[in-house]
Amino acid sequence: MNLPKQPLNQKIFKYSITSLIILASLWSAAGLEITLDRIIDAPKQIGILVGAMFPLDLSQEAFSRIIPKVFESLFIAWAGTVIGSFFSFPISFLAANNFTKGIVSKATKQILNIIRAFPELILAFIFLPITGLGPLTGTLAIGIHSIGTLGKLSSEVIEGIDEGPLEAIKSSGGSKINELTFGIIPQVMPTITSYWLYRFEINLRASAVLGVVGAGGVGQELINQLRFRDFPRAGTVLVCTIVLVLTADAVSAAIRNRIIKGKLVKS
Amino acid sequence: MINIPPKPKASYLAKIGLPFAFMFSIFSFNMIDFNFSDFQNNLQNRKIVTEPLFNPKWQWAWDNTSSALLETIQIAILASIIGCAIALPLSFYASRATNLNKFSYFLYKSFLNLVRTIPDLFWAMMFTVAVGIGPFAGVLALVMFSLAIMGKLLSETIDSIDPGPMEAAKATGASHNQTVFTSALPQVLPNFTAYFLYIFELCIRASVILGLVGAGGVGRIIETQRIFLRFDRISPIIVIILAVVILIEQFSVWIRKRIL
Amino acid sequence: MIKFENVNVTYPGGVVALKDINLEIKEGDFIIIVGLSGAGKSTLLRTINNLVKPSSGTVYLEGADVTNAKKKELKLIRSKIGMIFQTFNLVNRSTVLKNVLTGRLSNVSTIKSILGLWPKDEKKLAFEALNQVEILEKAYVRASNLSGGQQQRVGIARALSQKPKVMLADEPVASLDPITSRVVMSYLKKINTELGITTIVNLHFLDLAKEFGDRLIGLRDGKLVFDGNVNEVSDDDFENIYGRSIKSSDLIGDD
Repeated sequence: MNLPKQPLNQKIFKYSITSLIILASLWSAAGLEITLDRIIDAPKQIGILVGAMFPLDLSQEAFSRIIPKVFESLFIAWAGTVIGSFFSFPISFLAANNFTKGIVSKATKQILNIIRAFPELILAFIFLPITGLGPLTGTLAIGIHSIGTLGKLSSEVIEGIDEGPLEAIKSSGGSKINELTFGIIPQVMPTITSYWLYRFEINLRASAVLGVVGAGGVGQELINQLRFRDFPRAGTVLVCTIVLVLTADAVSAAIRNRIIKGKLVKS
Repeated sequence: MINIPPKPKASYLAKIGLPFAFMFSIFSFNMIDFNFSDFQNNLQNRKIVTEPLFNPKWQWAWDNTSSALLETIQIAILASIIGCAIALPLSFYASRATNLNKFSYFLYKSFLNLVRTIPDLFWAMMFTVAVGIGPFAGVLALVMFSLAIMGKLLSETIDSIDPGPMEAAKATGASHNQTVFTSALPQVLPNFTAYFLYIFELCIRASVILGLVGAGGVGRIIETQRIFLRFDRISPIIVIILAVVILIEQFSVWIRKRIL
Repeated sequence: MIKFENVNVTYPGGVVALKDINLEIKEGDFIIIVGLSGAGKSTLLRTINNLVKPSSGTVYLEGADVTNAKKKELKLIRSKIGMIFQTFNLVNRSTVLKNVLTGRLSNVSTIKSILGLWPKDEKKLAFEALNQVEILEKAYVRASNLSGGQQQRVGIARALSQKPKVMLADEPVASLDPITSRVVMSYLKKINTELGITTIVNLHFLDLAKEFGDRLIGLRDGKLVFDGNVNEVSDDDFENIYGRSIKSSDLIGDD
């Protein structure tokens, strides 16, 4: 029996990737001065913090401060997503290279890339001096960032459509607009709408965070409570945020599911 | 006379959902005081931002941010590696296809869901209180962040693997762990790698922000400068960050294409 | 060797897959099971290694109760039963060798198998198995790079590496062309005659069944409707099994 030999590249590849990963981690840890004793100490510290949060502050006063902020985050996220969806929709057609030819689509894509690259928080920063502290800033920041991400995702959906139905419409004498309404839109709407909903879920988390810089929402409450060392109340803020996000996620996921399964019309 | 079928009724989702969404939107815009005239008035203030914004102080930016930028990248590397490494086994426990114990599956899945609901900045805030200000808190926060995303993505991928090879391994008398290891894990490795690269990108972006709460990285510089309205320093910093982020993104996309 | 006693299988959801199966299979038999899709062939095969647990009744292997065996016993029993599948069930991204080695998993500790530290003896068994199906030279090739026929041979090698007493083949050639199908069937026949391994094959091609089979078992709607030598089968018997006259899709042809 002539035993075949294992090709060398397979082994080399595996070992070099593993060592690369280990080296990168060690280099980073060293650079950040994360020593072993800090790592070992961490669970204890975390335990102390979590312990300090219980029992949670369930007083009337706490809720009267926290709940409005929770809803504020919800409104910011929703309004921001609406702005993002509304404006990204036409822009995505401009960016799709099968709908708009040539340089216009390329330029639009680049603009979208640039908008996307700005994290919501940075955008909030920039708007703060203009629109002041408050939910409006948060909404604008989230809205504009969403235009960027949704624009890119939607344009990719449009680029991925099946051209067949369009050809059928054209051959039966339909105009470009007919192609759009009866050919493109029905194909892309389920996916694009589900992207809108998914974006809402992400924006909800972003809006919770924006409060940290004063752009409205729950984040402000959390950072205040942590600064004042009022841990029970901080714990309540966390729990409220979790409940909000879980509920919104569940509803959004359920709706997304039904859209993708095409049950918008009952027969 | 032909029998025309009755027109299907739109489902509850369409009948109730869409008008509700519309009303809710108007309500939301109201609640955030979306007042157009106010907005126009405030636009005057933009000069405070735009004048220094377009007058970037590059030298200052270069001098002061390179070490912070390095810190940002190191946080992202460490956090994404550790977070994804922990998420790998966790995901198998959080998938019906590889975890046959209903109770344990429910526990792991709920854990992952819970971790996902807390925004990364919240994690950072809590960790800075627990282990002190600085990049260590940032790493811990992003480990949770990476864990959550990889956990969700990977467990969903595992849910849809081909069960055939697992059946074959089981038929030879292998233990459950052996079955998962030899026949489920190899199927999802390419996805794992792609997700890892994606999460690494996300960590770089997130790590930039973390400094705002003192968790290390460029964020703290931006925060300090913002307080003094030094947008002339912030703008070059942002441009540099963006350049780095876009570079890393292109690199990651390139690698992902080569692997898959 | 294998005994079915009043075996019934009903799937959750109410589908009755097997009704009152009583059957005895002797050591060294080469059995071909025919019947329509959904007649219960796959289920029958899977009750032998308890991948499907009967709702009532018992399956015995060499006197041991397979149906009610405890975990450890079951693993031991399964290690003596080799199984090959219609869709090959290979791990596509792994090498041929790794796939064959999964046949040895029951014999190697979990840690060793995870770290890839296969003892030399185990690897030797794997290589020998590959040699028996004549694709030793493909040992380090990725499984997905092989043709269908080659992949099924790897499947057979995986089963052979277990040094099994029983070989179960669930529609092993349904995805293969006529020529490759005959190659695979002849390997199975060869293994049966040379190594004495009790072999049970599900097929839906009647001419292949006649070509390679000794004993033929016919299933219809979960019931045993024919059990006899393949030479004794008449067209009427086939109609009894299939509930209709023979169609061209029931024959693999010669190509």
